[in-house]
Amino acid sequence: MTGLALRSVRHRLASFTATFLSALLGTVLIGSFATLVETANGPVSVADRETLVVMGAVVGGWGGLIVLFSVASTLAVAVRQRAAEIALLRAVGTTPRQARRLLRSEALVVTAAGAAVGALVALGTGRALLALLRSGGLVDASVRYAGGPPSLAASAAGVVLVSLAAASVTGRRSTSGPATTALRDAASNRSRLRWWRVVLGLVPVGYGVALGVVTVTVTADSTDQYAAMATSGSSSILVGVGLATLSPVLLRWSALLVRPALQGLGATGHLAAHNLTRRSHTLSAALAPVVVFTAGTIGTLMLVGIDARTLAVPVADGDTITLLNTVVTGMIALFAAIMVVNTFAAALAARRGELARLRLLGATPRQARTAVLVEAAVVAAVGVVVGGAASLATVVPFAVARDEGVVPDGQLWLPPLLAAAAVALTLGSAAAAARRVTSTGIRAGLAA
Amino acid sequence: MQQQSPRPADALAVRGLTRTYGTGPNAVRALDAIDLAFAEGSFTAVMGPSGSGKSTFLNCAAGVEQPTSGDVVVAGQDISGWSEARRTAFRRRHVGIVFQGFHLVPYLTAAQNVGLPLRLEGRRPDRQHVARLLARVGLADRAGHLPGELSGGQQQRVAVARALVAVPAVLLADEPTGALDTSSARDVLRLLRSSVDELGQTVVMVTHDPVAAAYADSVVFLVDGRVAGWMSRPTAEAVAGQLARLDDLAGAAVAS
Repeated sequence: MTGLALRSVRHRLASFTATFLSALLGTVLIGSFATLVETANGPVSVADRETLVVMGAVVGGWGGLIVLFSVASTLAVAVRQRAAEIALLRAVGTTPRQARRLLRSEALVVTAAGAAVGALVALGTGRALLALLRSGGLVDASVRYAGGPPSLAASAAGVVLVSLAAASVTGRRSTSGPATTALRDAASNRSRLRWWRVVLGLVPVGYGVALGVVTVTVTADSTDQYAAMATSGSSSILVGVGLATLSPVLLRWSALLVRPALQGLGATGHLAAHNLTRRSHTLSAALAPVVVFTAGTIGTLMLVGIDARTLAVPVADGDTITLLNTVVTGMIALFAAIMVVNTFAAALAARRGELARLRLLGATPRQARTAVLVEAAVVAAVGVVVGGAASLATVVPFAVARDEGVVPDGQLWLPPLLAAAAVALTLGSAAAAARRVTSTGIRAGLAA
Repeated sequence: MQQQSPRPADALAVRGLTRTYGTGPNAVRALDAIDLAFAEGSFTAVMGPSGSGKSTFLNCAAGVEQPTSGDVVVAGQDISGWSEARRTAFRRRHVGIVFQGFHLVPYLTAAQNVGLPLRLEGRRPDRQHVARLLARVGLADRAGHLPGELSGGQQQRVAVARALVAVPAVLLADEPTGALDTSSARDVLRLLRSSVDELGQTVVMVTHDPVAAAYADSVVFLVDGRVAGWMSRPTAEAVAGQLARLDDLAGAAVAS
């Protein structure tokens, strides 16, 4: 099986690059922060230890959640796109178990390679991060870098394990049912969300909303100025990740709502509308990061803004906290952006044959590209609306807790700006991927 | 079947059609200056061993591929020098194509797939026209089904209805029965035959199956990119015999 997996990976380098890259970058980010925790165990003062652990564990933990989510979803896209090939393998006598083992072996090969390279890079970036903290005066200049194999290996192993879990879950889906239906259904799926996925989505949403309620009713009155931030700060990310998990349903419902409007756009709108409603699974992989991007950036940056305006007395940890928030936001934005680009590249590479077919039937390359862009526009719009709603889980409770009322007093230009950035990112990725796919000749597309 | 310059009554004609792949010593001449004309309302099968240039011929006739030299005249228009976009627009209006692999759009229903070429042209498909075509191919009750919910034979029949929807000057079929079982194949061939007899459609079908070829009015044989003969009112036995001889011919050409 491993031999087959290796050959399969070699054969499909391009589509595995996305998985490789997200594993690599994921390990770099988690690993860099993990080295801080390891450094904290060295000969450092109590205050420095606390700063390092908070920074490493909290920021690394939150970033880690997003990173793992991104790796899992990239891998899921890669696996799902191969439904036809899996069906073929099963038709020639591969058992479902063997097919799943093949998928897991491939995931292991690719993510282990990505994580290994990522761990090496993290050795350097971890050092740079600590230097940043030292020069910012957040930790004492005497703190020595002590990151090494334990923290980096743990980070890499975490990324690989989550990837394996993601490959198993998606593999189970694409290998269930008889082989013949798998062959026929490969092209279209109207599958509904599994119960565990609904639970996986609703739990963080509920938890995030509950934290918001706690913020307004309990921690708002706390003597610790940061108690309200501790309870509400992560809510937007939690709700965002939860809703992102439910994105296939959200996308299908929204597409049904806008379908009449899309039909008015002619052939391209017609194609986009039906692809969105009948194959929402593939495109929802792009919706998820747009939701997380919008929710995370709006929620956290508004939080920082409210905090800066309403902090009564400057606190010693203020700088660290602002830096932490900014780093979290930056990581979310970076990862979500990579995921959006990744997803469109992977999804469209898999649709090369289908788009070539459209052109055989008389669609111009421009029509094929426009259909893809219309789909991306719907994904962007839904992502911004859902993500914006998720960001309220942080913004509203924290604004109330800091006595600004339901609507914050300032920076109201920030959400539209970030939403515009999300839309531009989505459309840009889709346009680039679509151009690459439709620029080749029809015959090359059909052969792919 | 004539091997002379096209007259207005030819739905499709090619003159000196040549297609070369690659350059220099590795160049392969897939089509070598072939002349063929297909009269309106005729049903012609194009046959030949693998590598004889059948598919290249069909791709050039459909305007999918640009010939290296020579003319492709469809419905009186020489499309050989046109840009990709212009050929595409022309194809969806004047050429219907049926493929071996069906090539239905997976997220559109049978009826939506049939109407797609018209939509791509910016026209709204007439519901009744689409319904009549689906009834013609025996799938009136499957209009709302997605391709994944149809059998191979049913999918190919949808593809035939789609190829007919724009009332094309010529319907090109590339191994239309290659992926089907015998009985589904017979259904599809009868459909093509009836579209010629009842609608006056011109059909050009590439195939390697003598039984399929026997449904046509005449058969053209290609070998090594050249026209190697033709046969009118073909029977499966006669075609099979001729093919066997052509295989020897092609073998001899390779050996020399």
